[in-house]
Amino acid sequence: MTRPLIEVRGLVKTFGAFRALDGLDLVVEAGEVHGFLGPNGAGKSTTIRVLLGLLRKDAGEVRILGGDPWRDAATLHRRLAYVPGDVSLWPNLSGGEIVDLLIRMRGADPARSRREELIERFSLDPTKRGRAYSKGNRQKVALVAAFATDPDLLILDEPTSGLDPLMEQVFNDCVAEQTARGATVLLSSHILSEVDRLADRVTIIREGAVVESGRLSDLRHLSRSRIVATLSGAVPDLAGTPGVHDLGVDGAQLSCTVDPDGLPAVLTALTAAGVTALTSTPPSLEELFLDAYRDRVGAAR
Amino acid sequence: MTASTAGWPLLLRLGLRQDRILAPVGLAVLVLMSIASAAATPGLYADQADRVRAAESINASPAIVALYGPVLDVASEGELAMTKMTVLYAVFVAVLFIAVVRRHTRVEEETGRTELLGGTALGRHAPLVATAAEALLLAVALGLLTGLGNTVAGLDLVGSLAFGALWAGTALVAAGIGAVTAQLSASARTCAAYAAGLVGLLFVLRAVGDTGPAWVSWLSPLGWNTQLRAYGEVRWWLLPCYGLVAAGLVGVAFRLRSRRDLGSGLVPTRPGPRTGSPRLADAFALAVKVHGTTLALWTVAAGALGVVFGMIAPGIGDLLDSEVAQSIIDELGGALVAAILSIVAVLLTYFAVTVVSHAGRDEEDGRAELVLATATSRGRWFAASATLALAGTGWLLAVTGVGLWIGYVAADGPGIGNLLVAALAWVPAAWVVGALAVLSLAAGLRWSVLVWAWPAAFLTLGLAGDLVGLPGWVSGLSPYSHVPSVPADVWSWGSAGGLSAVAAALLAVAWWRFRERDIG
Repeated sequence: MTRPLIEVRGLVKTFGAFRALDGLDLVVEAGEVHGFLGPNGAGKSTTIRVLLGLLRKDAGEVRILGGDPWRDAATLHRRLAYVPGDVSLWPNLSGGEIVDLLIRMRGADPARSRREELIERFSLDPTKRGRAYSKGNRQKVALVAAFATDPDLLILDEPTSGLDPLMEQVFNDCVAEQTARGATVLLSSHILSEVDRLADRVTIIREGAVVESGRLSDLRHLSRSRIVATLSGAVPDLAGTPGVHDLGVDGAQLSCTVDPDGLPAVLTALTAAGVTALTSTPPSLEELFLDAYRDRVGAAR
Repeated sequence: MTASTAGWPLLLRLGLRQDRILAPVGLAVLVLMSIASAAATPGLYADQADRVRAAESINASPAIVALYGPVLDVASEGELAMTKMTVLYAVFVAVLFIAVVRRHTRVEEETGRTELLGGTALGRHAPLVATAAEALLLAVALGLLTGLGNTVAGLDLVGSLAFGALWAGTALVAAGIGAVTAQLSASARTCAAYAAGLVGLLFVLRAVGDTGPAWVSWLSPLGWNTQLRAYGEVRWWLLPCYGLVAAGLVGVAFRLRSRRDLGSGLVPTRPGPRTGSPRLADAFALAVKVHGTTLALWTVAAGALGVVFGMIAPGIGDLLDSEVAQSIIDELGGALVAAILSIVAVLLTYFAVTVVSHAGRDEEDGRAELVLATATSRGRWFAASATLALAGTGWLLAVTGVGLWIGYVAADGPGIGNLLVAALAWVPAAWVVGALAVLSLAAGLRWSVLVWAWPAAFLTLGLAGDLVGLPGWVSGLSPYSHVPSVPADVWSWGSAGGLSAVAAALLAVAWWRFRERDIG
């Protein structure tokens, strides 16, 4: 096993009295897509900025691509590509010029890159000026520049914000191609389903510290489903059924979250009671945090 | 209230809230300069005859007339006291009002904030109506405060009110120019360039008219400032003209706004190249690309200004011979070319300021982050802006010097020394101020407002120092005060070397600080 491409231990970053990162750990192994999850303001972008050497850490260990991001930023950046969450472009430069500029600044040659192909796939008009692009198109400019070369590491900060579903698919394909040739991806997001599709492992943070980290399949409660059913018959009592949580009954409507093991029993009971409407959704990140928070408060008592 | 202007009172309040520092500080500086001039004048001249002689010497020098305008009533104390204020400082009034208007129109559109507000119950014309209303309020405040201030400082009431009114008129015309130019391009910077070009044109028209065919002055509202004769036999009928021109310009702005979409300009944006030039590959090339057009425009302006003043300057030779004139020159802060250069040097320092403040905005908006996430080091990114800022200002001063020399030779001026050297003498001082701007950027985004403040602060300090007699060490804080008035004085290696050393030290501190700080 090679050394992890990103190793963060006990990272602390404060802005005045505000503690943005509070002992954060993050390990990204070579060749994996690592989901970096957290609600807005959790410290995802701050962590990424420390990883890029833009912010100075206050405490902790940070290594990226085997180097110190603060000291060796420029050298390390030859081997990585970064797409910020909110891309801001030079108003007077065309999209094509900006793509080429970013590729050249990473020390690569645009003529020998996949820029043309990617511009086509993302249906980007490269002759428009920076100021004329919509949010989604600005995002595409940064994505084309990032995917056009073969970096060892891609750092993507909420890269699909502003992209339509069609373009999200193109984005997913591009990530898959990059990992197929051995690239490592750090993908930050506040949408669980997006990370679910792409990531091998996830780190979930909240208020600057890690809540959970591991393989998605190992995080048991992440695979819980939220069930909402409207019933025509008598509402069954599921309180005792194994694997059922957060049970609530409102008239003829029943809602709960269910572990995969408990699903057959719940569905059987619901069918018996006469289901007229049924929705099943993966839990949202917010619900997970509420859970984690509730657990911590509960434990403290 | 019609639908297209709905919601403007709310926007007006928002505008005033945004300008709660800029507007009071801007107005205060202008009013205080006027008061200082008014209060200082009686002490400078022993009696009426002395004043008449001074006014006549001003009128006898085409270079001074070109810069300040003539004194039309030589017997009037107020006219003499307000020599600098009538036209030259009116340009600063214009700059303030154009900045305010641009800030609430095109800048808001470019950043997308207008769109944000456009989603609420606001009419299409509401931003322009609110901005015009704010400009009107500020202009009236400026006029009244200046008029009352000058009265308190000892000038007569009617003349002072007329003078306040002419500044207010200039402010309104400038607001109109700002409103029209804001419609032209999708880029706020290009709009600013159009506005600056127009004001420059009005200034040159007036300078040409005042030193040549008089009717040309009447084409420019800045020429009316002199022709109004605020402290002489006032031409009251001129005052409504400012209002009419301003109203006309704002009307044009409304028509133009109706014809274009939000966020676009009237001058259509041409599509850009599909691919980037191979030379556009590092931070310095990027800075040159971003500021290239601006630098070219500044170069043309600096060259043209140099030639115009060079051609007008030959009167200097005759003037230097007479004793009275010599004393005037001393009062006005050095020889005439030096007087022109002392203003031009501050203006050209603003090129450095725009480059540095642009770097600050790049950082704020995240473009710097995009660059610094590539193999571009902090050092290169920082050095690119600092180098372009300082080299650009040096280049522009050199262009001004060459322009002065060409104009001067073309007009058969007597030999008064090397005008290129005269212009270059200001470079080290401009560098110190530019380096202070760089240092403000390096100190962090919180301090970025200082970037704009340094040149204006030093200009104010220098002028106030002359007028109210500040202690030498206070005026001496301004780097510009250490520049020898070449060609009247000789070039000083001590001053040039000292200022350059200070600039280098400031840059070193800036670099040290920037290396250590967080980005964004």
